[in-house]
Amino acid sequence: MIRLENVTKSYSAEVVALHDASFEVAKGEFVFLVGPSGSGKSTMLRLLNREERPERGAVWVAGRNIVDMPPGRVPHLRRNIGNVFQDYKLLTEKTVFENVAFAQEVIGRPRHVIRQQVPAVLDLVGLAGKEDRFPNQLSGGEQQRVSVARAFVNRPLILLADEPTGNLDPATGEGIMRLLDRINTTGTTVVMATHDQRIVNTMRKRVIQLDRGVIVRDQARGVYE
Amino acid sequence: MWSRLTYTLRETWASFQRNITLTVAAIITAAVSLLIFGLTLLIQEGFDNLLSRWEGGVEMIVFVQAQATEEQRSVIEEALAAQEGSIIASWSYCDVACSLEDAQRLFAGDPATLELLTETNIPTQYRVVPTEGTDVLTLRALREAYQDGLPNVLSVTLAEDQLDLISRLQGFVGLYTTGLWISLMFAATLLIWNTIRTAMFARRREIEVMKLVGATDWFIRVPFMLEGLVQGIIGGATACGALWFINNRWTAGVAEFPENSGFAALVVSDGYLNWVMLGIIAFGALVGMIGSGIAASRFLDV
Repeated sequence: MIRLENVTKSYSAEVVALHDASFEVAKGEFVFLVGPSGSGKSTMLRLLNREERPERGAVWVAGRNIVDMPPGRVPHLRRNIGNVFQDYKLLTEKTVFENVAFAQEVIGRPRHVIRQQVPAVLDLVGLAGKEDRFPNQLSGGEQQRVSVARAFVNRPLILLADEPTGNLDPATGEGIMRLLDRINTTGTTVVMATHDQRIVNTMRKRVIQLDRGVIVRDQARGVYE
Repeated sequence: MWSRLTYTLRETWASFQRNITLTVAAIITAAVSLLIFGLTLLIQEGFDNLLSRWEGGVEMIVFVQAQATEEQRSVIEEALAAQEGSIIASWSYCDVACSLEDAQRLFAGDPATLELLTETNIPTQYRVVPTEGTDVLTLRALREAYQDGLPNVLSVTLAEDQLDLISRLQGFVGLYTTGLWISLMFAATLLIWNTIRTAMFARRREIEVMKLVGATDWFIRVPFMLEGLVQGIIGGATACGALWFINNRWTAGVAEFPENSGFAALVVSDGYLNWVMLGIIAFGALVGMIGSGIAASRFLDV
């Protein structure tokens, strides 16, 4: 599903975000990217989403090398990728329903499909009955659930999560992780960047550890260390 | 398709309301510049009406009274033919129908005079193109000779009597009005550009999310372009209203000017005005759409 081949990405001569990184993620896998701040986790996610392009190497997503993908094809790539962020990135003037529906609306899904799929995904993330609330009327955990619902509503092949529990208390964070695990069991590949030692150690999924842009460990059913 | 259309219209309307102050400023500036653009076209048309009889190198017109007989006209034509090659390069006869058509342009703003002119009383014209080497003094001498020596000649007019002043006036007015509308149109484009930029900045988070969930650049851009287009159309329509009012007042005013004041030709026909108004709306729409389209592309990476 994902393959990085000798990828190097730098923001300046001094700041090398990734250096000669290579790994492969199979369909349906759940992978943690761990490492200290500035180790290259977020850059890795941005490369997979084609928000950044590497100086060297190839990035394969769903069978296509996306490094030289024409800009016009990038939106189609992103329709196969869901994104969850630490700060949720919800639209504050839209309701819960509208925030999730927005992801379908902008790619031209018909109204009847939106009316059918959005309540189903809100039910999945445990927000049934809160469709008409605005983000500022929800707790942090609930806001992150909306964010997950928005990322999953188009049934993406891959879900990228950048510190999704970073702003949440441990109990709420666990709830989000259960949700991501559940989404993973539907066949969606999940790549999650995190600092949360407890979650990594509890979930025991594959761990790729980065240090100053270099992959220093790739371990199945790994722990944080 | 329907879902996209409603989304686009909804977003355009929302953005319109969100930036109401800037939107109004952009519309007013566009309207003023388009109005001046329209006025420039009307003024130029008025001058063209005045100058139309002098087209094709014509520098002298011999007006013949309506009651002139065929024989008398033959005498005039023989006199013209006698000068062909030396002073006169060519000449043509503008008959009753041609003269009536000419009067329609010249007296467009003076319907009372126009009404008095009929097939039986309108003077016909001989339009004379002099040879390259003919100077003004020779033409003036020829005018005197024709006026005094030829039968039933009403008057002889030389282009230099009218042409120089009108041309200078036309150039002067044309230059300044053109400069003014181009400057204002540029300001209007910048204002539309800035409105769109502000709208995009206000919605940067939304645009970021749209891009991340796979919206195409065109899908994001179209509501902003539509907003610019609507601003241009509203500005154009406002300018049309003002232009129609000004033209109406001018036409009514010219009718009250003294006869032979020369202003009667400075009135345009309704058909021309309609074309100008249509052009103004189209031009406003084009400028609005292009300005906003460029801004939307330029600031898409918010």
